[in-house]
Amino acid sequence: MQWVQILVLGLLLGGVYAMMASGLTLLFGVMRVVNLAHAAFILLAAYVTYTLFENLAMDPMVSLVVTMPLMFGLGVALYLILFPRLEASPRYVEMTVLLTFGLALIVEGMLTFVFTGIFRSVRPVYSSTAINLGEIFMPTSQFYASTISFGLLMVLWAVLRFTKTGTAIRATMQNRSAAQIVGVNVRRVSAISFGIGMALAGAAGSLLSFMFPFFPARHWQWVALLLALIVLGGMGSIKGAVIGALLLAIASAFVTDLFGPTWSPITFYLTLFLILMLKPEGLFGAKVRL
Amino acid sequence: MAVVERRGDLVEEAPGRQPGSRSRRVALILSLALVLLFPAIAYPVFDSYAYVLQMGMLILMWIAMSSSWNIIGGFAGYISLGHGLFYAVGGYSAGLALAHWGISPFLFLPFAGLAAMAAGFVAGLITLRTRGPAFIVATIAMLFLGLLTFDNWEFIGGTSGLDLPLFQFPIEFLKVPFYYAMAVTAIGAVYLSYRVAHSKFGLGLRAISQDETKAEVAGINTRWYKVWAFALSAIFIGMAGSIYGYSLTHLRPLTFFAIAVAARMVLAAIIGGRGTVAGPVIGAILIIGVNEVAVRQMGESAINIVFTGLILVVTLLFFPEGIVGSLRKSRRLPAFLDWD
Repeated sequence: MQWVQILVLGLLLGGVYAMMASGLTLLFGVMRVVNLAHAAFILLAAYVTYTLFENLAMDPMVSLVVTMPLMFGLGVALYLILFPRLEASPRYVEMTVLLTFGLALIVEGMLTFVFTGIFRSVRPVYSSTAINLGEIFMPTSQFYASTISFGLLMVLWAVLRFTKTGTAIRATMQNRSAAQIVGVNVRRVSAISFGIGMALAGAAGSLLSFMFPFFPARHWQWVALLLALIVLGGMGSIKGAVIGALLLAIASAFVTDLFGPTWSPITFYLTLFLILMLKPEGLFGAKVRL
Repeated sequence: MAVVERRGDLVEEAPGRQPGSRSRRVALILSLALVLLFPAIAYPVFDSYAYVLQMGMLILMWIAMSSSWNIIGGFAGYISLGHGLFYAVGGYSAGLALAHWGISPFLFLPFAGLAAMAAGFVAGLITLRTRGPAFIVATIAMLFLGLLTFDNWEFIGGTSGLDLPLFQFPIEFLKVPFYYAMAVTAIGAVYLSYRVAHSKFGLGLRAISQDETKAEVAGINTRWYKVWAFALSAIFIGMAGSIYGYSLTHLRPLTFFAIAVAARMVLAAIIGGRGTVAGPVIGAILIIGVNEVAVRQMGESAINIVFTGLILVVTLLFFPEGIVGSLRKSRRLPAFLDWD
């Protein structure tokens, strides 16, 4: 029974991880950008949620309505300001990694300046309750967060599958220059994808705010975790990101149970390390080698 | 295309280098003299002698760090964000030698370098199986694995750290030996960088950074070139870590593994000019100088992180070749800075 319990907890966490990672993998798929600032933006949204909760008593799940459009706009703006300049660079990929590294430092510094480095968390009523199903219990906050995450993933899937823009995004992911040839406005698609990725980061931040305590420098650990997920799944594959997230969340839940919580992060870093060494294309990655 | 043309210029310029060599030699002797005589010059001039020497030591340390990082990150074009690991290996190996065997870190200095080099060699063998962004991600994972290991390693003190005995020296001049040890490290690092830049090995690394496949076809054993570049880049970072750690008298994993440490090495090298010998030196002086002025003026360290990030972003967008690279491109690089 204990195994089932761990599995359930792992799955709940995995759902949230999957949504966090989907934005990151989307950006890589469309633009070949490894966004080291993704978790910093997640934390930015978490702090926005925190501010709304503290000042207006807005429920963190409601504040998704604020964080998602906000981050979408920020994403489109950042893309338009920063990336067209780099596109011609012969070292595009490397430059974008360094650029997002710089962005992460800027966001981290500003958050530390405004909110200081101490731990924060958003504590709505449901943050300390649990749902019991027979012998299995689920923290209410994780259950809600996981449900919303899976919902958003379904929406993302539907957008990519059924809308014209979604088709253009998928075409760009498959082959950028071919998409351009058949008339896809690649720059527009990239801007929108950056916006969607950031909107997902915004949603992730709102959900994270009531699941885990956070402080500005925490985002490095989060981004390492998210990179592990998407590298395992295959960078640029959203399906891969979801499966990688579920697998690793469950694995780390078991590691926590067996060796204690200090060693749970090692599941992610070791996986990241090993996958990059042994099978860099990941489980579901396209033939693109990084 | 631009890169190819630039490289073409470089080759053309090479024979015509003689005119600048005199001013370069003068600059070299002057700056060496300044570094070595600084503690003597500063003593009568500054009231806060210890502070000034500490600043000098920090500038020398970051010169050593970014010049070393530049060997793999600049010449070979493999951006590593994990070099904090070697900083830690140097710091902790010297710290343990002092705490357990009573060996002074000043004597242990070369061995701290060797330990870091060995760590760099092994880490290079593993991480350099990847390329491009995957390499960057792998080095981040390496950094976090290292931090986690050091944090949970009882023998070296875990998260609570390792206390070192104080260095017995007249308190007024306490910083002087640290300064000189760091000066030796920095001079060594710049010399190594210069030697690499002017060797067949360095040429091979540059070829790798241009186009690895072509370099391989041209007969360069790219794998060993990269692994050796990685190992060499760790040496002086380890030595800098050992001295810096000793000057703190208390070693904590996060002091060495903080991502800000890695960020600063990268930043100094990029601002100065990646892949040049003079670039990281200038970058380090600028970064530490600006940082210190900012801290003294505003006393706010969080804003510093913002500045670090902003400078990095602006440099990448507007002059990605850095100061030395951009000046050279527009042929305005003063001869005394042209160390390549």
